[in-house]
Order: sequence, then structure tokens, then C-alpha cells
Amino acid sequence: MSALCPPPSPAVAKTEISLNGDSPLLAATFAYWDNILGPRVRHIWAPKTEQMLLSDGEITFLANHTLNGEILRNAESGAIDVKFFVLAEKGVIIVSLIFDGNWNGDRSTYGLSIILPQSELSFYLPLHRVCVDRLTHIIRKGRIWMHKERQEHFQKIVLESTERMEDQGQSIIPMLTGEVIPVMELLSSMKSHSVPEEIDISDTVLNDDDIGDSCHEGFLLNAISSHLQTCGCSVVVGSSAEKINKIVRTLCLFLTPSERKCSRLCRNESSFKYESGLFVQGLLKDATGSFVLPFRQVMYAPYPTTHIDVDVNTVKQMPPCHEHIYNQRRYMRSELAAFWRANSDEDIAQDTTIHTDESFTPDLNVFQDVLHRDTLVKAFLDQVFHLKPGLSLRSTFLSQFLLVLHRKALTLIKYIEDDTQKGKKPFKSLRSLKIDLDLTAEGDLNIIMALAEKIKPGLHSFIFGRPFYTSVQERDVLMTF
Amino acid sequence: MISAPDVVAFTKEEESEEEAYNEPALPEEYSVPLFPFANHGANPWSKFSGSKFTKDFILISEFSEQVGPQPLLTIPDDAKVSGTFDLNYFSLRIMSVDYQASFVGHPPGCAYPKLNFVEDSKVVLGDSKEGAFAYVHHLTLYDLEARGFVRPFCMAYISTDEHKIMQQFQELSTEFSKASECLKTGNRKAFANELEKKLKDLDYTRTVLHNETEIQKKANDKGFYTTQAIEKANELASVEKSIIEHQDLLKQIRSYPYRKLKDSDFHPYEPECVVDQANTIFDQDSTTSNPAEPSEMHHHARMPSYTPKLIKAKSAKCFDKKLKTLEELCDIYFFTQTLDQLNQIEKMFRGDVCYLLTNQISKALLKQQTITNFLFEDVCVLDEKPEKQYGGCQLSNQDTVNTKCLEQFLIPKVLISMGSYKSSVESVPIKMEQEIEDSQEPEVTEPIAFDQENLEYLDADIKGSISSGESIEVLGTEKSAAVLTNSESQASLPIQPSPQMIRSKAAGRRTISEDSIEVLSLCPSESLIPEDFKASYPSAINEESYADDEGRGPYLSPRLNPANVKEMEGNSEEEKLLPVDSACCIGKENPNFVESLPDLPQKHCDDDDGVVSIPPQPYRQVDQGFHVNFSDCSSHDVSGGLLSYELDPHYLSSREASKISLDEYSDSTSYMSSAASTCSDRTSSPAHPLSHFSERHRKKAGQNALKFIRQYPFAHPAIYSLLSGRTLIVLGEDEAMVKKLVTALSIFVPNCGLFAMPVNHWITSPLNIMDFQKWKLIGLQRMVSPAGVNMLHSLSRYSRYISILDVDSKTLRCPLYKGTLVPRLADHRTQIKRGSTYYMHVQNILTQLCSKAFLYAFCHHLHLPINETETEDSVVSRRRNFLKFHLGLVNEDVKVVQYLAELLKLQYIQEPIRGSNPVLRFDYVPSFLYKI
Repeated sequence: MSALCPPPSPAVAKTEISLNGDSPLLAATFAYWDNILGPRVRHIWAPKTEQMLLSDGEITFLANHTLNGEILRNAESGAIDVKFFVLAEKGVIIVSLIFDGNWNGDRSTYGLSIILPQSELSFYLPLHRVCVDRLTHIIRKGRIWMHKERQEHFQKIVLESTERMEDQGQSIIPMLTGEVIPVMELLSSMKSHSVPEEIDISDTVLNDDDIGDSCHEGFLLNAISSHLQTCGCSVVVGSSAEKINKIVRTLCLFLTPSERKCSRLCRNESSFKYESGLFVQGLLKDATGSFVLPFRQVMYAPYPTTHIDVDVNTVKQMPPCHEHIYNQRRYMRSELAAFWRANSDEDIAQDTTIHTDESFTPDLNVFQDVLHRDTLVKAFLDQVFHLKPGLSLRSTFLSQFLLVLHRKALTLIKYIEDDTQKGKKPFKSLRSLKIDLDLTAEGDLNIIMALAEKIKPGLHSFIFGRPFYTSVQERDVLMTF
Repeated sequence: MISAPDVVAFTKEEESEEEAYNEPALPEEYSVPLFPFANHGANPWSKFSGSKFTKDFILISEFSEQVGPQPLLTIPDDAKVSGTFDLNYFSLRIMSVDYQASFVGHPPGCAYPKLNFVEDSKVVLGDSKEGAFAYVHHLTLYDLEARGFVRPFCMAYISTDEHKIMQQFQELSTEFSKASECLKTGNRKAFANELEKKLKDLDYTRTVLHNETEIQKKANDKGFYTTQAIEKANELASVEKSIIEHQDLLKQIRSYPYRKLKDSDFHPYEPECVVDQANTIFDQDSTTSNPAEPSEMHHHARMPSYTPKLIKAKSAKCFDKKLKTLEELCDIYFFTQTLDQLNQIEKMFRGDVCYLLTNQISKALLKQQTITNFLFEDVCVLDEKPEKQYGGCQLSNQDTVNTKCLEQFLIPKVLISMGSYKSSVESVPIKMEQEIEDSQEPEVTEPIAFDQENLEYLDADIKGSISSGESIEVLGTEKSAAVLTNSESQASLPIQPSPQMIRSKAAGRRTISEDSIEVLSLCPSESLIPEDFKASYPSAINEESYADDEGRGPYLSPRLNPANVKEMEGNSEEEKLLPVDSACCIGKENPNFVESLPDLPQKHCDDDDGVVSIPPQPYRQVDQGFHVNFSDCSSHDVSGGLLSYELDPHYLSSREASKISLDEYSDSTSYMSSAASTCSDRTSSPAHPLSHFSERHRKKAGQNALKFIRQYPFAHPAIYSLLSGRTLIVLGEDEAMVKKLVTALSIFVPNCGLFAMPVNHWITSPLNIMDFQKWKLIGLQRMVSPAGVNMLHSLSRYSRYISILDVDSKTLRCPLYKGTLVPRLADHRTQIKRGSTYYMHVQNILTQLCSKAFLYAFCHHLHLPINETETEDSVVSRRRNFLKFHLGLVNEDVKVVQYLAELLKLQYIQEPIRGSNPVLRFDYVPSFLYKI
């Protein structure tokens, strides 16, 4: 991050963003490949801080760097490629999403990048997927808008016989701003409230003298079981930050350290927004005693979510992975198609469009009761409280439990791998798998499958074939084998 | 719960296509696929089937100043690796950008060329069309003949799995940084050598030019300079300037590591072995020599002999010259090291990322379970990478296993440990003989050195017991190591390192008449001094009732501390102590106990209210001894007879042990086939020593085990024997067949300690009772000779201790098993197809078992009376209920968990017994003969 650097030319538009907390993000940039001038930066977003860590010139230099070499880009149609740089010489890490789009009548290459100091590498890596997923989707939308802009632009040229180059593509910037700011806010909130990678078991429910001391036994069992069935992805809501955070920490015990760093504690004073893609997050209810979850963002989370209300001790869960992914994809496609059809800026404003004219109504009741009971978590909870609290006995016992889960998940993957010859043949012996691997309880199978999904993405969809079947339907089908 | 205003369009695909607007549908390139794995026939195992290579590989590329980006080599160095993947194109893609470019160029005002010491850059990028994704590590090497003296290179790890690269980013970065640092260190050394040569050449050239100029001056009688003279003078000036420049370069390259060391995050490459002496001579004549410079400078060696040559002052920058190869750019030693490291990296990250991830997670979790790992885990594997991170988590490096594993292989001393026998039945004198034998196995006992004379003193064969089948043999107390440490004789022993490891082995021989009850007490492993035996006397044994009121199980347990035993001897009141269940490491709360944590094990003995108030910290340095505790086993009691040795009045003291003379142990009448019992036979190292199960071995063992459970209907009782600590003998004529079965069954054998190897794949000599303590699974040769008959006879005598699987007749003799645990472990109808999968399944069930044993061993208020009025019976009943209702154990499964819990506790409360198992288990239950 040297101070010396060539001045940018011409000046780049910049948006300064005020954040509540410290921002680990140095800047975000949008650059494109100009067929005459090469890589050029179109826009810079930077947090408003007293101390400028990177000058605009440096940011421009780095952003240009992300597109260097992309003249050789060889990508599939519609691909949004991710590049990740750790440039020790400059002391920064850069995450770039490179994509092709139509602009000025030409097909060109673009790059949306975020820049962080290199010292934040270990902070950022667990959040990489969250950031990339979110930026990817906004690029999908932005790309459509650029395309539409081009069409409208040509119409304008025909009508007015004029061309103003500077106007083109401008409207993608507000769209990108709409996601860049939340990403900055997310990183800022994670900097202050992320769950530590090492959790002291004494801060959790598992430190109680007996089960049921802090919360009801059945509630705890349901919460942990469902949390594991939804790949460790949970939202904990309530009126007391302390109570919420205790459950958040408890659930995080069942995650890997990396996943914990992608989880967030509840803020005392006011609630954070729901953030799609975090593993566990604590959210404070408002004065009316409710917390409104944004449907779209819940759907866009990479895994299904468990909803836990610590005030009324309820646990609800979303459908299993394959169903969730299928619904998510349908929703995404619908959203993009609607966007494609939108005619004006008003139509494309984020998260506000409701299409009332469609005959199809989305199923808003995505959270349902936990139907499948498990034996794994139940046995664990029955047993762990027999060990004396305050020592490391319970931690050891917990690590044994987690080891069993992970090993079962890997064995399950290997079993399916053997049976299907690494996916070459369809999997037809779910019943044998359940018996052989001692997963006859539906809840147990769900937990192990969820864990397996995390390390072998797509496993659910592969096993359960037709992903649009509901869980119940597919079980009916599979049990007939 | 869901906010209605956030609901965006959620229309059916079909309907959207039938829009009334008749607008063109959303182009697929702007949409997302409905099924993420539907394209290209992709599935979770081959997300991108269109890629032109199948396995990950490492590519080293260079940005050549002559031809541009070019691939140099791949690892593995095989053309098949990259398949039809275009390495040239990919090199162009990854090397087309100078990611190491610095903001600052050459500092202004500097007269001499400056070397640009740039940091390595790391880039993750991909080619989504080709399905190739790469971690690219950019580095710069120095070359005197290169433009700007720099040659940009990169090392790329190329995979078809994009997520793998990002998920393993930190690990890849760490490993490649090490390789890069090695390469750069070698390059700096080679560059410095090159500079030195150049300086010598320049110096020589200067001398020649100077001489020529002088000659010309002398010959010049015209009074003016000729053109030639002027040219010579200019050339001389150029040479001198060049010398200064090169001296400056040499200074820069040599001062680099010294400067870098000031950076806290710089870790200079440290070679694993000493570099050639000739290369380590530090160049004292160097213009920039600095004795304070770090070790790397020692590699900047002066070339032994170099003949300088005349050169031109200005090197011609021509493009037809051949650039140095990577090998030439780097010192050969470092180059080889780098390639080794890269090969290692390729192996490390090879394969499916789900296995890598689970492996990393498992390692991290296992490090939190040091107390139970020894049972079924490959403990050395846990420490292959002590600093390994997973998921960005820096793991704590607190376990001691690593050093112990190292110790296991590095002790270069003659080690010896002897067992001693002593009786706990006072009225029955027992003659015993102490024996040792050599062994190839590294012994990790207290390193007591012996000279040759002492070794001879201990040179004796192992003898088997010839007691009657009706007698009761119980292994007993061991003389504590602490006593030995204080031995004067030991202190006088000189330490003489020897390449040969000596392993001691103690064996007992009895000359007791039939129908007697005798209790053997032995020291199976810890080092003993021969003199101790010389001075000892026959021991008396206290007879104990067969069925003990407390219903403790038939376990033999080590003693905690000889001092306590002495106390017991001296003070009969000790016998009346309140029943402290020492088997339980968790007892009643005692606030005072926290104050005396270091003396925890001793407190167990002294304090009837002893509670463990600290987390499990295995391997306490506690003396051990074996004690006898008879209990009623016929009732299949669930109490398990957990550690109760402290309170047993019949335990032998170390003093008693010291009275037993080695001579007294001699019993020629029970000597049997000593010739056959050669040391080499007995101590043949297991084919697969503990903690070194390779992946291949696991697969093989899994395959064999799968075959075993499918072929042998009596697999369950056989496995039950192993899990419950009952030694299983696999008897057969065919060595290969026996070894195969032993390998198969070895995956079910719990280890008794970090260093105990409980499996012996092939023994040809007769067995004795000591072997059953040492090994829990033995492959035994069936001999057709008369000696073989004797051997079978002796086996039948030991039937109380062992189960026998006869490979030849396909029979099994062992106790009945009616539990539910083993059927889950070994279901002959299983659809598991591969050995490696079955091994994983077994490992999984055993982990669950371990967890149950841990819970049982450390369960709060399970093993102690809750109040003074509570009887022992109710405690026993509580234990029984716990095992049945909380752990869901039925019938014989109880014994499995009790045995494992016993091992855990022994491991926890005492120094691990090295080279031997602490427990010999026997059952007063009838054995059954199973046939196919």
C-alpha cells in the first residue's frame, strides 16, 4: 500500500459509504476492459474513514490489475469467474468477480472487486463464500440490466441520432451499490460480533448442571437436532440478547471453527439485519416482539435454515437441502426473468417488487415443524449431562460426538461413491445404506446427510434424484425399493 | 415471520415462458441452471466432466524474456497427468500478468542497479471453459544475465475442483511458500556464486587491461594517446564500474536474509540436512561478509576452484543466448529439496477434497481427545502436521504424542525392562524365573542403559506356565519404576548407546501342584534391575475368596503408587478406608482437592472423598503395579471391578516384591521348549506396528475383515473376544492365511497404550501367559511336530484367558456372545462393497464405543456412593442401570465397554505402560466351540 502511484486518469467516480463500525473492507471497484485503453476502473466504493488506507490511485492500480490478463479469458457462456489475489507486495487481498457482458454494443469483460488488507485474510476466508454468492447474484441482475440498457440505448440513437457514451452502463452502478453496501455492513458487523473460533463451553447450555436448567429439554434437543439437519445453518431470535447468544454459542459448538467464524452473535442495543449465508446468527426482536425475515434472502442462503425462537421455545426448519436448492433456483430464475421483463427503474428496485398478476404464489410457509426425530443428538444430550461440568470432560465428549458425525458422513459418502461408481450409476439402495450405516432413524439420516452435503455438495440432489419431489414424496418412492 | 413486501416474483417457469408480452425469454446465459449438477452429466464426484485432465497436478511456468510464458515441468512428471490440457495456453493465462509488480520502481538517484526483492504473490483463478482452476504462487528468481536480473516464475496447483482450491487456500499457501522459500534460498546462493565468478572475471580482466595499458603507456613515445589506448582506458573504466556494480549486487543479495529476518513473519528456509561441507565455507574474503548474518549466508559458498577468464566489460544483451534453466538458477541441493517438497504437496492435496476436509476436521477433534485416542486411533498420524490448520483455525499444539512418537524411533540406547513376579498368596511359595529377550521393537521405557555384562545377566528364555487347567492364574503387581530409578545398581550402570534395541520380557514359570490357587504378580514392562531380583525373596501370597462381595469384575489393575502400598502395609487402618471407587476418576466434590492437583493420583488413595476436579490430563507420572482383585464373574456382573486396588488389603507391596529373588524364580521343571522359543521368534516385530497403518494397509485390513465376517459365521464372538480384551489366537499352518486373518481382525483390537502393540501377526514358538498380557491378537503357527502337540496342550490350559480361532479346521473356541454391538459392527449381510469403506464403518462404530467407554469411566457420581449410607450394592446396581439404560448395552456388550473404560482409566491415571498391555483379563465363563 505504497503512497507512490501513478494518478488515475481520467478521474474515477467514487461513492463513500458511512458505516457504523470499523470496516475491514478498503474498497470495492467496478472495472471493465476497454478495447482501446485496456482495463479501466468505472467506479469505486470506499468506506468513509478519517484515515485513508488506500488512495484512489492505488485502488485504481489494483482494480486494473484484476482485469489484466482477462483478454485471454476463456469462459463458459454466462460464467461469473472468481479470482482471488493475495498481493503481499501491496499488502492487500482482492476478490474479483469477472464476467462478460454487453455494453456499448460490444461484448466486453468486467470485474467487480473488493479489496481488503492482507492482515484480514484469516478473517475473510470463512466469509468468502458469503461474499461471492451475494456479489454473484447482483452481477447476474446487473448484467441483464446492462443488456437492456444497450437495447434502449440503440432505440434512443435511432430516435435522436445522438450518442452519449458516458451515459451507458451508468445504471448498473446504483444496482451494484445496492449490494456492495450491505456486503460492507456485513463485514463490519462480523468484525465486531462474529463468533470466536474457540468457544468456551461454560458460555453455553452444555455447561448446565443438568439438562433443562437453562432451557427446556425438548427444546434443546429439537434445536440442536434441527440445526444439524439444516447443515448447521440457524437463525436464533428472541427478546433477550443474552439468552439468544447463549443458544447461538451452543449451536456453534457443533460447527467447525471456520464455520463459527461465519456466524454472528446478537447485538445488544439493536438488531442486525438478517444476512444470507451465515451459519448461525442471533437476531433481536423489535419492540413489537417480532422479527421479520426477508423471504428472498432466506431463500438465497446456501443451506436451509432452522428458525429458533428462544422466547417461545419453538423450532422450525426449512425443507432439506435438495428441496431448498431447487426452490432457490426456481426463485432465482423467476427473479431474473421478472427482471428481464421489467420496463422501468421502478420495476427493478430491489426487494420491493411484488408480482400480483402471476397465478403462482410462492409458498411462504417455508419453515415447518421438525418432523424427524433422531437418536444421535438425543443420546448425546442424555449422556453429556452425566459428566461433571466445569471440567473438560464435556468438551471431550462433545468432540467425540462430532467425530462420530463427521466419520459417519464420510462413510456415507464413500458408501454412495462405491455403490454408484462415483456417480456413474444412480443410487438405489437407500434402505441398505440406512441399515448398514445404522441410520435407520430419519432424523439421524438427515443429520448425516446434511453434514455430507457440506463436504460433498450436490449429494442430496444426486441421491434423491428428482429434486422437486418433496421430502415426503421421495421417501415414499424410495422406500418402495 | 416472513416479510411479505420482500417477496419478489416467484413464477413458474412454464408460465413465464408464456408471457402475454411475447418478449423473448431470458437468455440462458443470464439465468442460472435449475439443477446445479445437471449439466455435462455432472454429479458430485465430477462436477466438470468436460475437463481434459483427471488428477490434480503442479505446473511450474516461467515468463521467459525470450519466448514469453512457457511451462517448464509438471509434478508428477508424466505427460499423462495433464492429458490434452493445453499447458502452453494455461501458462500464458497465469503468467501474463506481473502480479508482483511494485508501485515503486528503482529509487531515484541510485547509481547502481538495485535488486528488487519482491514478496511472493498468490492468485486463485480458473478457466471455467476448460474446467481448470489453479492456485498460482508467483515468485521471482535472480539471474545475472536476465533482464533486470529477474526471472519471473510461478508454481501452480491445478485442479478441476474450484472449491477445493479455495477451501484449501491457506494450506496450499503455507506449503507453497515453504517450497518457494527453498527455491529462492538456493537461487540466492547460486546468484551469489555467479556474482563472485563474475567479479573474479572482472578482476582478472581489469588486471589484464591494466597491464596492457601500462605496456601501451611505456611503448608510447609519441606523446599523445592513440585511439587504441583511449579505448583500452575506457574499457578499463567500464570494468571498474562493473566491478563496483557487481560488488554492490553481491552485497544486496547477501544482506537480504539478514534484512528479512527483522520481519517477524519471515521464516528462512532451513535445510533438513547439512549441506555439503565444501559449500558451507563462508567466504571471508567477500566484500560484504558479515559474521552476524544468518545461516543462509553459509550456503553462499566460495567455489572451490575457479579460473577467471577475460570478459568484456559490457555483457552483450543478445537474445540468441540460452537462458539458464531452473535447475541452473538454483543450487542443486535446494532445487532437489524444492522438487521433493512439491511432490509432497501433490501427494498431500491429492484426491477428493471431502476426504481432505474430513481428515483435517478429524485431526482437530482428535486433538481434543488425547485421553481416548490411544484406543483405536493412529496417534502418530495426528502429529504429521502439528501446525496444520483447518478452516482457518490454528490448532493448539498441546499434545505430547508427537514427541512420544519421535521418542519411539529415536532412542538410540540399549533399553531393558524386566518383569518381576511376585505372589499375593502368602502360603504358597512360587518359584519364578525372570527372563528377557531381545527384540527389534523399539522400547520406550525409561532409558536404562545396560552394559554387556548386564545384558548377559538377563539373557534367558521365556518359559511357559505348566500349571493345571484348574488352577487360577492372575497377573499381578509390577514393581514400580520409581523404585528402580532409585536403585543404586542402576545408577552405576554406564550408558552405552547401541543400535540394537533390547526389549525385555518377563515370563513366569511355576512349579505348583494342581488344584492350588496361585496368583502371579508381574512387572511386564518397566525397566528393572537384575540386582533387585538377586536381593529379593520368595513372596507370600494372600489368598482371596473367589467371589468378592463387591462383585467387581475380573480385572487386574495397576497400582497407583508404591508409597500407598507401603502405607497399607504399615497401617492396617488403611484397609478400613471408606470404599473409594478408584475406578471412577470423578468422585464427590471436595473443594480442598483442587489445592492438591499435582498429587491427584496419590490423593485417590488417601482421600476417600477423592474427586477429580481437573480435566483429564493423561499420562500422569505415577508408578504402576499390578494387583489382584478377585470378583464374581460368574454372575456377569456389570460392575466391572473397576480400579479398586488401592483399598485391597491383599495387594503386594514393593517391599515384598523386592524380596523375590531372581534365582527363586528359576524353575527348570517347567521349562518347555526353550530352544523353540527363540528371541527372534518371540519378538518378531508385527508386520504393521502400531500407529503406522498406511492407507493401503487400512484398505487391505478392511477387505480382509469384510471377507472374514462374510465367511465365518462365528465372527461375532471372535470380535467380541478382541473388544473385551480376551486374547485371540489365530492358529494355522499356513503363514499367509494366518497373517491375513490377523490383519483382518487387527482393526478390532483396542490398543492398551500409546506404545503397546497388541498384535503379533506370526509366532512360531509356544506361548506363555505373559504373551496374553502383551498381545491381544496372535497369529500362531501350528506345528506338526511333537512340540506342536505340546503347544496345543498348553493352549488348552490357557483356555480361560484366550479364544482360539483355528484356521485349518475353521473352528473357534471362545465364550458365548449375545450382545447387539458386534452385529452392528460386523453384519455379514452388509452391502458395503469395499474394504476401505468397511474400515471407515468399523472406525466409526469404534469411535462411538470409545465415547461410551469414556462416559462410563468419567461419569459423575456413578462409581461412588452418593452418601455414606449407600451400600456398595446400590452403587453396583446404579452402574448396571447406567450401562443398560443410558448406554443401551445388553448382555456381553457391557463387558466391552467396561474393558475399554478400564483401559482409559489406566491410561489416564498413570504413565502409560510401554511395550506391554496393562491388563490381563480372564473370565470364569465357559468357552464354546463354534464350527462352520
